[in-house]
Amino acid sequence: MVLGLRNFTDRTQTGEALLDTENGEELMHVQSGIDIVFNTFPRQSHGTLYISTKQVIWLSDVEKDKGYAVDFLSISLHAISTAPDSYPVPCLYVQIETEADEDDSDYLDSASNAIQNLSKIREMRLIPSDPTQLDTLFQVFCECAGLNPEPNDEEGEEHDWIFNTDQIEDEEAEEEGYNSHNPANSLGQSNGNHDLARSVLEVGSLP
Amino acid sequence: MLFFSYFKDLVGREVTVELKNDLAIRGTLHSVDQYLNIKLENTRVVDQDKYPHMLSVRNCFIRGSVVRYVQLPPEGVDIEILHDATRREARGG
Repeated sequence: MVLGLRNFTDRTQTGEALLDTENGEELMHVQSGIDIVFNTFPRQSHGTLYISTKQVIWLSDVEKDKGYAVDFLSISLHAISTAPDSYPVPCLYVQIETEADEDDSDYLDSASNAIQNLSKIREMRLIPSDPTQLDTLFQVFCECAGLNPEPNDEEGEEHDWIFNTDQIEDEEAEEEGYNSHNPANSLGQSNGNHDLARSVLEVGSLP
Repeated sequence: MLFFSYFKDLVGREVTVELKNDLAIRGTLHSVDQYLNIKLENTRVVDQDKYPHMLSVRNCFIRGSVVRYVQLPPEGVDIEILHDATRREARGG
């Protein structure tokens, strides 16, 4: 899986987001009239948001080859932002986990103000034309995040470090061996100490 | 499931969630799920100088896998319950 934001151009003939339904992806929510902002880049208007069981997709209504997507697995947090000191208009604030270094900022081509590398974008704001939709969007995001736990996070979370039955037998054999040899071991060890003491003595007694 | 049930008892209390990217968010614990995804209400960012753009958000959902620490209110830490729970967990249920 690739972390972060990416371009998304898969559309149906009618211009909607084309989902990977063969692999079980389902559409959860569609919201038209959504503007999108990345980091401090200019606001992009007139889009439709598609929230599926796997990802969030924003498609431009105007430019048919323009669209973005981010997997729920890459979304660190989402929040309703209504305070004007955070952002001038109410929006859903989304933080994106990237594989890029924290201080890496070369995604910005300052000359053209264009986004060079989407995978380094760490913040996204979704601005609905109607702010009352924010609560619904927030809830749908929560629900879908719950559908996408970390892939290595096994349900039940019992990690018992045994990988196959051979290993159990090996471990048992080892344990038995250890127990039965234990007295011999300690005897051997004391012998060894004597030997060592003797060799030190011998070395020390050399002229 | 130890921490899941433990955090459930802290719902309604004020906690600080520190993320692996160093962002720390304080708020009222609204809910927590089995993946330790955390929902906070009335949140505010602790280090406001560093994250001025996130000054205040109303509700916040934090993915469990990005959480580094959860700072609990001292009165919300019942050591006896934690002792019992960890012993039970160590015995395998």
